[in-house]
Amino acid sequence: MSLNSVLQIGASGLSAYQTAISVTGENISNVNTAGYSRQTAVLETAPQSSSGGLSLGNGVSVVSIQRSYDAVLQKELANAQTDQGYDTTKSTALQEIEPSFNEVSTDGLGTSISNFFNSWQDLTSNPAGTAERQAVLTAAQNLADNFNSVSTTLSNAITSQNTSLVTLTDSINQNLTSIAQLNNQIKVIDQSGGDSNELKDQRDQKIQDLAQQIGITYTENSDGTTDVRYADSGAALVTGSQAGSFSLTTNATTGLYDVNLTAAGDTTAATVSPTTGTLGATLDLRDTVIPGYQSQLDTLATTIATKVNAQQQAGYDLNGTAGIALFSSGTSAATIAVNSAITGTSQIAASSSASSTGDSNNALAMADLANDTTTMSGSTFSDYYTSMVTQVGQDVATSKNNVTQDTAYSNQLSTLRESNSGVSLDEELVNLTKYQKSYQASAKLITTVTDMMDTVLGLIS
Amino acid sequence: MRISSNTSALNAIYNLQKGQTTLNKLTELTTSDQNINRPSDDPTSTSTLLNISDSLNAISQYSTNITKATTFLNVTSNALTGISDTITQAKSLVDSISNGSDSASDRQSAHDQLVALKQQIIDYANTQSGDTYVFGGTSSSTAPFSSTDNSYNGDSTQSKVEITENSYQTVNITGDRLLKGSGSNPSYGSTDILKTLDDLISAVGDSTTASDTTAIQQGAKDLEAGATQVSNAQIDVAARLKRLDTMSTMNTNNKTTLENVVSGIQSVDLTTVGTELSQQQTAYEAALAATAKISSLSLLDYL
Repeated sequence: MSLNSVLQIGASGLSAYQTAISVTGENISNVNTAGYSRQTAVLETAPQSSSGGLSLGNGVSVVSIQRSYDAVLQKELANAQTDQGYDTTKSTALQEIEPSFNEVSTDGLGTSISNFFNSWQDLTSNPAGTAERQAVLTAAQNLADNFNSVSTTLSNAITSQNTSLVTLTDSINQNLTSIAQLNNQIKVIDQSGGDSNELKDQRDQKIQDLAQQIGITYTENSDGTTDVRYADSGAALVTGSQAGSFSLTTNATTGLYDVNLTAAGDTTAATVSPTTGTLGATLDLRDTVIPGYQSQLDTLATTIATKVNAQQQAGYDLNGTAGIALFSSGTSAATIAVNSAITGTSQIAASSSASSTGDSNNALAMADLANDTTTMSGSTFSDYYTSMVTQVGQDVATSKNNVTQDTAYSNQLSTLRESNSGVSLDEELVNLTKYQKSYQASAKLITTVTDMMDTVLGLIS
Repeated sequence: MRISSNTSALNAIYNLQKGQTTLNKLTELTTSDQNINRPSDDPTSTSTLLNISDSLNAISQYSTNITKATTFLNVTSNALTGISDTITQAKSLVDSISNGSDSASDRQSAHDQLVALKQQIIDYANTQSGDTYVFGGTSSSTAPFSSTDNSYNGDSTQSKVEITENSYQTVNITGDRLLKGSGSNPSYGSTDILKTLDDLISAVGDSTTASDTTAIQQGAKDLEAGATQVSNAQIDVAARLKRLDTMSTMNTNNKTTLENVVSGIQSVDLTTVGTELSQQQTAYEAALAATAKISSLSLLDYL
């Protein structure tokens, strides 16, 4: 045992606490970094040596810098992200559609349907009146306009969901590439015995981002890399440093994008139909939810047009000629319009007899179509529309509730993650003080040993 | 549980957000004064509201129909009263000369009066409501009667309006049923009043022609039947007006009931919401204050 070795012990303390303070500094400066896991310098006694039958220590050393990380929690978080991504996207898109169906506070399609049939009621009181006939034409125009407008909102929503696929798949591909690159870097650093904590945190964050976009499963490998698989089909998205990619091709039939996946290490793309995450929600909205509303709207528009046209053709106009179709034939909600051949009010067929132009029986029959329950599977036109509004409302309400639950759940998980991996400034400050004092003490040890050496040297001189 | 610096921040953000959302919802309720502002607020009640709104819309339309029909029938009723009064006048005139012993000037005077009375009946029968001849059936453009002959130029179609769902009321009385005694369902009688008057005019004679007592007596009898015929029409109109009035009351009652249901669903209980709002406000302020206090706590202040 020499004074020199005691000096070495002091030096090991200085070096260890310097490292520990540096780790504390890293923690403090990353207190607000998303996905950062707090790190701890793990201190260990240096190997002992024996001198004169005594076993003496050789100071302290930092054996590793540990990352506080809970792999299970991280996976749960990823799953929660997938649900939240799906529900949030759906809820946002549906809330954008809802105003078009908000019959509660504004007059929309429902009112224009009632108004149209009411205008025929007015006509029954004065079948030859120009003003009443004009009102029928205006109400018909208004009805067609309302159908067109709601249908446009829906088809715009479909288009915007379709367009959003471009940026969405770009962002997914970027995440996949980043994960693969980080995998590569982590592997290299780990092999060279380095410390890749920060890179791992970055990769975890990318995986969380990716999980929000599509459902994934992932496994951590012994070489430090993480393999990511697509939850729907199990296809490899990232294998080691290889990344798969999503691509879009325009479907010739629908004119919308098909989503294709080229698996990691593969060269051929296969069409996939994601059902989870933001991507799944976007496709669900585009292909199922909104087209569902649209087809109901089309059914309503075509049925009204067909029934009204048939009734109009069964009657006679003010000149005693048989009525012609009021709406242009073969229509959907997007294209329904007042027949361009209807040029004047006299062409409204209010009479049910060619000889008696002041008759109102056809107008009466037309007005009664408002109560007809034979064509819309047991409900009137207005009832059918009401149930449509209710369905939209229900869908919006459900998706809003889901988002609230998802938010609460991921908040719970985030709190747990924060509790485990988050930086506590107070803790770090205590550590800082602790390490500083230890550093001071180590320095004191060195000065003491130096004094002792001086004393020894003094003996010599 | 270990609390990191961000744990409290995360929870504070989440809870403040929740408080803000609740506040926002309560404020919306107070300012809009409606419980349901969009279908997703309560899909089930939305369905009820929309169904009621449809019913109210229909009721309002039926009320309009009833008002129009009532106006039309009131005009009809006035014309019928006029016709009835004129026939009564003709009857008393005929009664005064039925013994046939009048002088030439009396006969001429009675003759002239009867001609004038017939013209008056025709004028009443050509009454218009708006542009429509009330006794002209559905042929609204031509006058149903003319003074040149006794023919009826209208048609016998009766127009209907809907006064409540699938319930219709015939509105007009056609001239042929009223004055010509033809037509059925309803039939008011079988007297051709115009012909009867013509017969009477010739039976009374004039300054040069003597009266035909038998014909006058027959005419008086026919006129009596004609008066009954007009009176039947008046009763029918009165019955129709009564029905419209009843339906109108029923519609109003239905409307009130439905509006009460709507108000029950939609009306915001301002007392409750106001209380909740102030509670929520207090809670929110407390949360803000607590967050501010906790966030400012740091070991740094004591080192």
